[in-house]
Amino acid sequence: MSLNTDFMVKVAQTAIQGVPVTLQIVLVALLISLPIGVLFALIRIYRVKGLQRLVQFYVSLVRGTPIIAQILIVYSAFPSLLNMIIGKAAFSINPIYYAYIVFTFNSIATLTEVFRSALQTVDKGQMEAGLMVGMQPRQTFWRIILPQALISALPNIANATLYLIKNSSLAFIMSVKDITAIAKTEAAFNYNFLEAYLVVWVYYLIICYGAEIIFYLFERYFSKYRRPIKNRTGFNWFPFSIKQPKLEQK
Amino acid sequence: MDNIKLIINFLGQLLPAINITLIVSLSSIVLGSLLGLLLAATRLSESIVLRLLAGVYVSVIRATPAIIMIFVVYYGMPMVFNGWFHTNIDGWNRMYFVIIALTVLFSAPVSEIMRSAYESIAKGQMEAGLMVGMTPFQTFYRIILPQAFVVALPNFANSVVNLLKEGALTFTIGVVDMVAKAQMIVANNSGGFAWQTYCALALIYWVISLAIDKGLSLVEKSYQAKRKTIAV
Amino acid sequence: MLTIEGLKKSYAGNDILKGISINVNKGDVISIIGPSGSGKTTLLRTITTLEEANGGRITFAGVDNDFQKLNGKEINTIRRNVGFVFQNYNLFNNKTALQNITEGLIVARRVKKNEAENIALKALERVGLTDRKDHYPSQLSGGQQQRVGIARAIALNPEVIFFDEPTSALDPELVGEVLKVMKDLANSGTTMVVVTHQMSFARDVSNRVIFMADGYIVEQGEPRKIFENPSEERTKKFLTDILANV
Repeated sequence: MSLNTDFMVKVAQTAIQGVPVTLQIVLVALLISLPIGVLFALIRIYRVKGLQRLVQFYVSLVRGTPIIAQILIVYSAFPSLLNMIIGKAAFSINPIYYAYIVFTFNSIATLTEVFRSALQTVDKGQMEAGLMVGMQPRQTFWRIILPQALISALPNIANATLYLIKNSSLAFIMSVKDITAIAKTEAAFNYNFLEAYLVVWVYYLIICYGAEIIFYLFERYFSKYRRPIKNRTGFNWFPFSIKQPKLEQK
Repeated sequence: MDNIKLIINFLGQLLPAINITLIVSLSSIVLGSLLGLLLAATRLSESIVLRLLAGVYVSVIRATPAIIMIFVVYYGMPMVFNGWFHTNIDGWNRMYFVIIALTVLFSAPVSEIMRSAYESIAKGQMEAGLMVGMTPFQTFYRIILPQAFVVALPNFANSVVNLLKEGALTFTIGVVDMVAKAQMIVANNSGGFAWQTYCALALIYWVISLAIDKGLSLVEKSYQAKRKTIAV
Repeated sequence: MLTIEGLKKSYAGNDILKGISINVNKGDVISIIGPSGSGKTTLLRTITTLEEANGGRITFAGVDNDFQKLNGKEINTIRRNVGFVFQNYNLFNNKTALQNITEGLIVARRVKKNEAENIALKALERVGLTDRKDHYPSQLSGGQQQRVGIARAIALNPEVIFFDEPTSALDPELVGEVLKVMKDLANSGTTMVVVTHQMSFARDVSNRVIFMADGYIVEQGEPRKIFENPSEERTKKFLTDILANV
């Protein structure tokens, strides 16, 4: 068995053009879904009438169906929908917008659950203390509760981001020219599929580890208040999604 | 109304292909759990080298997209078998490749779930068990395992749902599962009724996921019921 | 200054408070003692509007109304004129010791930032923690956290400070430092209502002791009378039990 290394170098050079596309999809989806996720989590926690059921339904639906099904639905339904609304021919739309839509919808569901559990980890004593120094509930929420919840959500936001990066590898189905799509096209010429996918794999590993390091630095920077002065935790090289953010023991 | 009728009609056409999904998922769950158990044991072992290797494995899998894993297994394994064992496995049922890929993907989170469940229970309970004169194995089997099971269950169910969803990529290597079937239906209708077809597809997966969640909460409830008689 | 009449509270059909009336005068240091489950903590939490009462009347800081009829403005008035020291400290985890104190001053009282910091530093000095001003709660011991909690309450200069079992979450060796701060406060004329299990504090520092059981005030009076010559059988039994364990 031998791999065609020349070809691998060539794929590596071409597929790198797909990296910005992948990152773009991930960033757009993340930036839109973060605030909406917080909003939806609040709707769930405060049981906003009517809306809370809707959010619950939405989260369950997205969480319970494969991303591929979501891609196929959006990709087949949106063109005609757009046609109806703006009368613009669907062909003229850059397929990356479909990717934005699918992955944003998907991330909103994940992040809603992330923020819901993060907000619930904040002790209710924090709100009471805020009220007892004369602050309004809303002020206490913005200044005390939300900052703590966001920081305790960081590990799970990192997980959601990794999940998003990995899922974005399916954007090629919507003919978005991302890493996977480029490698696939290259490989098709000579049937060097294994080589192409090994290169793609390495790219995803690099992107995922990069994201993990960024989140680790965020966490370090923002959670200074959670660290006892001496005990610093090192970078967790083998983190996993099932770990709940550690709470302070009081 | 017409749309609902269409979706119901498509449901009927898709459902026969569900057995592929079920076979792939169930085999991967069983094999992946076994591999995960092995990995968890490795990560709890004394040997630093073994621990490190298992750790790297889990960490790499965590950063690997399912579709890449499936492709690498599908295109890579025949090459490996051909080159190293001089065996031709091109004739294998393509489902096997998916099962292998999903087993590898599933084993990583499962090993972490098992490990952290074990660690959350083991320390104090093991000492207590030994102090009342049980052997380590007895303590593990009678005291730690049942408790760790309860701790691990929700996360395990969550991973099963993820596996089910990743299994929907089976079609990418040409196995005719529900997704492939749906695409065929759309093709047969010359691209018509596409979103209704895919909604039917999503609906089937959703029901399975809901069933898994429901099963989980039933099991959890029965455990809580047992507990209530003692506590409170 | 603060008058509570016929305060009632029930949870899920269980009556926790069955008609409590209390009168707090300026400069009072009142200790509330009693077995656990007698409703002491609930009493503080209902008076300070952390929990809704099911009946009773409050006269305090210009508010004179039934608990159930309090409007938002009146609730704000009550909250602005009380201080509260929590059993679990409840310091804002994302704020330093100093910021914990300035937060209420700046956000709720609209005091200017440097003025608030001056007030906060003075409060920290009173509890002896000036050198810990930039520490986060997780970097402080339980005793230090509770002292910051007390500083946070006094900085707002409230009419009365409520202490909800301020030392019961502390390791025994840390209880002393908190009690000392509370004693200094009492001596400086701060009005305090303290739910406590520290009988020494109740006996030596307070000027009135209230004994509660089963949602009622069983007996109240000067500490000497309650401790040396209680008139109720329940009080006697409680004190014998608790003092036997010391």
